[in-house]
Amino acid sequence: MNGTRHGSATIGFPSDREVLVTRQFDAPAELVFDVLTKPEHVRMWFGAKELEVCEIDFRVGGKYHFVGFVMDGDTATCSFRGTYLEIERPVRLVGTWVFDGRPDAEAMETVELREEDGVTTMTDRLAFKDRATRDSMTWAAADGLHADEGGQVGLDRLEDYLTTLA
Amino acid sequence: MARASTTSDVFNAVADAHRREILDALITGEKPVGAIVNDLSMSQPQVSKHLRVLSEVGLVSCRAEGRRRLYRLEPAHLQPMHTWLAKYERAINERLDRMDDYLQDLQRRERMR
Repeated sequence: MNGTRHGSATIGFPSDREVLVTRQFDAPAELVFDVLTKPEHVRMWFGAKELEVCEIDFRVGGKYHFVGFVMDGDTATCSFRGTYLEIERPVRLVGTWVFDGRPDAEAMETVELREEDGVTTMTDRLAFKDRATRDSMTWAAADGLHADEGGQVGLDRLEDYLTTLA
Repeated sequence: MARASTTSDVFNAVADAHRREILDALITGEKPVGAIVNDLSMSQPQVSKHLRVLSEVGLVSCRAEGRRRLYRLEPAHLQPMHTWLAKYERAINERLDRMDDYLQDLQRRERMR
């Protein structure tokens, strides 16, 4: 059955400069890891349509480059690239992460997978260099990845307010 | 994009760490300025200045009780931030839902082989 876990990703801001996304998948960790790292898989799901460019040189020090429409209804193509720094199949993947619209806002991305009873929990942590960079990038993502409209938004501890006041 | 002034934009009003501390202090309930000053390491003029900004964007309201003025949190005015976070969450969920569907399709095809 598709769709039973749709919309279940949780988003947190564990520190001033980080974004942490957590999501579970009904699949073994090895398969989740391959779907995150093999170009024939990534090109099928990363963008709203099949990616135009999906280059992956999967080794420590190797680079990746994805270009495509990232969100439904988005009219601009988006380009992401980075370098793999740590590869430990199927539990851990570390690399740099750069959105080409904002090359100054490079982040360190750490993906960790933990499988239990056939369910794999993925955590995807993006660590930016400071809070202002993180806030401007998350703001840009919310605004359809029009990165130049970002900036200036302080969202420190926003999640505390949302949970406390809901 | 021009930056909105602190007095018209909730995002900018809460961008200041001191103003967030004041909002935190009001989570437990209505308080006079003096109680906020006691809770936080800020001077009374500083707290009053920040309360004025928070009042202007509607995050804090004020009523008189005898000679005291009591300040309270107005969480409904955080709505623009809820809307923003919901949009960000939707963008991330769209991608991870596609990944989920793809994983399920792969496994279904594998079982049928």
